[in-house]
Amino acid sequence: MSRETPSRRGARAQRATAGGRWRSWLRHHRAMSLDSASRLLRHPVGSLLTMLAIAIALVLPAGLWLTLDGARLLDAELDESATLTVYLEKDVGADEAGRIEQALAAREGVASTRLITAAEGMAEFQQALGLEDALARLPGNPLPASVVIHPQDPAPAAVQGLADGLETVAGVEEVRLDLAWLERLRHLAELGRRVGLGLAVLFGLGVLLVVGNTIRLAVENRRQEIEVVTLIGATHAFVRRPFLYSGAWYGLGGGLLAWGLLTLGGDWLAAPIAALAASYGASFALPGLGLAGSAMLLGCSTLLGWLGAWIAVSRHLAQIRPR
Amino acid sequence: MIAFEHVGKRYGGRFDALANLDFRVRRGEMVFLTGHSGAGKSSLLRLLMRLERPSRGRILVAGHDIDRLHASQVPFYRRQIGVVFQDHQLLFDRSIYHNVALPLEIQGAEPREAARRVRAALDKVGLLHREKALPIELSGGEQQRVGIARAVVNKPALLLADEPTGNLDPQLSADIMALFEDFHRIGTTVMVASHDLALIARLRHRTLRLQEGRLVADEEAA
Repeated sequence: MSRETPSRRGARAQRATAGGRWRSWLRHHRAMSLDSASRLLRHPVGSLLTMLAIAIALVLPAGLWLTLDGARLLDAELDESATLTVYLEKDVGADEAGRIEQALAAREGVASTRLITAAEGMAEFQQALGLEDALARLPGNPLPASVVIHPQDPAPAAVQGLADGLETVAGVEEVRLDLAWLERLRHLAELGRRVGLGLAVLFGLGVLLVVGNTIRLAVENRRQEIEVVTLIGATHAFVRRPFLYSGAWYGLGGGLLAWGLLTLGGDWLAAPIAALAASYGASFALPGLGLAGSAMLLGCSTLLGWLGAWIAVSRHLAQIRPR
Repeated sequence: MIAFEHVGKRYGGRFDALANLDFRVRRGEMVFLTGHSGAGKSSLLRLLMRLERPSRGRILVAGHDIDRLHASQVPFYRRQIGVVFQDHQLLFDRSIYHNVALPLEIQGAEPREAARRVRAALDKVGLLHREKALPIELSGGEQQRVGIARAVVNKPALLLADEPTGNLDPQLSADIMALFEDFHRIGTTVMVASHDLALIARLRHRTLRLQEGRLVADEEAA
């Protein structure tokens, strides 16, 4: 022991430089993250069950979100196919039909046009229905020529407006468009989106509760330790830190499990979904999470775990008073 | 170092645990605090550790009114006092070394410097050879020495002890008290609460005697 007085030496030790404080802060973070991870690994079954509970809570909203994401892609595809069919009057000849098509193509809001002459229409009809024999027995071609129009703006209101305008063009008999089912699909997608958001909020709260409860027990188990370190000058942040890391680890573990479940589930459902879509003549596949989606899932789950731990620890630290 | 100015502590609105305490302890002084159990020794130490706040009067430590510390400053205040508890308050899931290192870990001391100071503290209490042991493997007297090593490892200016020899036989008690005297000798202010009057009488230090929360005697060393 030197002859220096303890108080002076103590004061010098506490006068840490900013760099030193930063290093010691990092050191404690590293130590606590490893310590809390090893505590989780010491009780693998219990930790896994907690993470599984988190994963299940995450899978439902995330799965729904993926489905809606797929539906949005499908919706975009459908927008592409939002077309108007303009039936020309029956007595319009092939030459005049070509002129009308050009007139239609020149109109505002029309992206492209395709003329289907009466003969082409007949050929398509025969092919689609397989009624060559029956149709061949008809005296003439009963089908009119038609023009298929792709609108520039596929929004239902715009398409309807365009259709109303086309009705008045000379030589046009009728304009057909079928928007009702597109509308219905959009409403369904909106409904799904809101249900998904509601579920995400509810299940996010569920994750907070799962983690909060687990951390509450951990705090209770380490009560004596908390009391002792508080007695010898630990700050709240110091006491809180290992529990926050535990919460974050639970969240990350739950997120990884959820990611695995979603991937497995996607593979499992891929075949029936593809078959179903094919039967509607559409190509629809559940999109994968992708890099951004995976990062988002893991980030959110880790954050939720951290937040749940924060709430639990803050609530219980206030109750723990050294005796 | 310590000044109590008309300090009172009342619990539950009626019971006066401490009443009108008024005394000073000089820097580097060693003081015993005696009295029957329930006389207010522990309450006084709890006030000094700022586990509780006085109902009346004020307490100055190193010139600062500790009642006016903000909650966020309290941990830093506690780091400047070493406390030895009657029941040691060791953590049983970690080694002796890590128990003693705890205050340094809390302060964020650099590991190599921390190791040096932990070993110095353990050496001082004669337990350097047991640094890897768990507290449960140690005797009561040894556990108390670990508690002392932890209290002094960050070289506090003020060392408080609450019945540090409570459960020990006379020889071990004398050894423990000798340790406190060593710290007193190198300039630490030491306050030891004890009801072991025979031992205190032999050691010849200033003694504050409490009775029913009042200071009834303040005897300078003979």
